[in-house]
Amino acid sequence: MPTLQHICEWIYTTHLSTSIRQSPYSFPAIETIHTLGIAAVVGTIAILDLRLLGLIMKKEPVSRIARQLLPWTWAGFAVMFVTGLLLWIAESQTSYSNWAFRAKMVLLLLVGINPLIFHLTIYREVNTWDLANVTPRRARFAAVSSLVLWASIIVFGRLIAYVNT
Amino acid sequence: MRFLVALSHWLGQTHLGVFIRDSSYAFAAIEMLHLLALAIFGGSIILVDLRFLNLGFKTQTAPAVARELLPLTIGGVIAMAISGVLMYAGGPMRYFNNPAFQLKMVLFVIALAIHFPLQMIAARSLEVAPGRQRLFQAAAVASLLLWFAIGFSGRVIGYL
Repeated sequence: MPTLQHICEWIYTTHLSTSIRQSPYSFPAIETIHTLGIAAVVGTIAILDLRLLGLIMKKEPVSRIARQLLPWTWAGFAVMFVTGLLLWIAESQTSYSNWAFRAKMVLLLLVGINPLIFHLTIYREVNTWDLANVTPRRARFAAVSSLVLWASIIVFGRLIAYVNT
Repeated sequence: MRFLVALSHWLGQTHLGVFIRDSSYAFAAIEMLHLLALAIFGGSIILVDLRFLNLGFKTQTAPAVARELLPLTIGGVIAMAISGVLMYAGGPMRYFNNPAFQLKMVLFVIALAIHFPLQMIAARSLEVAPGRQRLFQAAAVASLLLWFAIGFSGRVIGYL
């Protein structure tokens, strides 16, 4: 048996995992907070993406919007991560073989690499295009990838529960 | 009430309602659209309210944030309402008597009546008058609590 599967099955038997599963309220309550956390993360990221595409807040410098949004994106991310982890702990055994869950994890990895590349490349010269209505092609490409990836993450996240049943 | 029952019955019997009820994928697809709209809508609502509370986006004035994000909050709420009506059309009577659904609709009407006049009044002004700041902050807190409660009651619908 693969090590990862072994770990998932062990987590499934822990006290935390069984107690979330056994309570009729825990799972849906955590799930709702997870969804609202996603709204905070994706909503704030989408606002920056839409600015990069020149669709909103055109008069505001990109870097200023990014700085103002970031704390709330991270706050939402913390909520999303902790609740997501709890949901996974409760369902680790079934998640392991769930293709929607696997796809979501790959997409999460990609959506993490995207801003990394963005910040290490085109965003370094943000002072040269901070006020531009239409930002450089690579910045717009990062914005579109971010929007598409996050949308897919939401879709696959919802699919996890449909695939499970 | 009788009007709402009649309207719901009619909605469920339209071609669209029957299609959504009979299709194996329609409901799931519409629900995903509802969630995608929630991401945009929720994020922009939070930011507008946080700006009123002086907790975020402070480089721009509250009216500027309210104005710039108005297309997202209004577009978001329209997308959520349309996808919501479609989910409802797939089985109106299942939801009509669902207490969580009833609560969600009542809270939704209250939230609409509090949040959107607030954001639209702010969007039209140049700055929030000092005497009105308290009012805007109270409304922003009410708006945040209401939208969160709507999210929760929405999830509960599926469990009742």
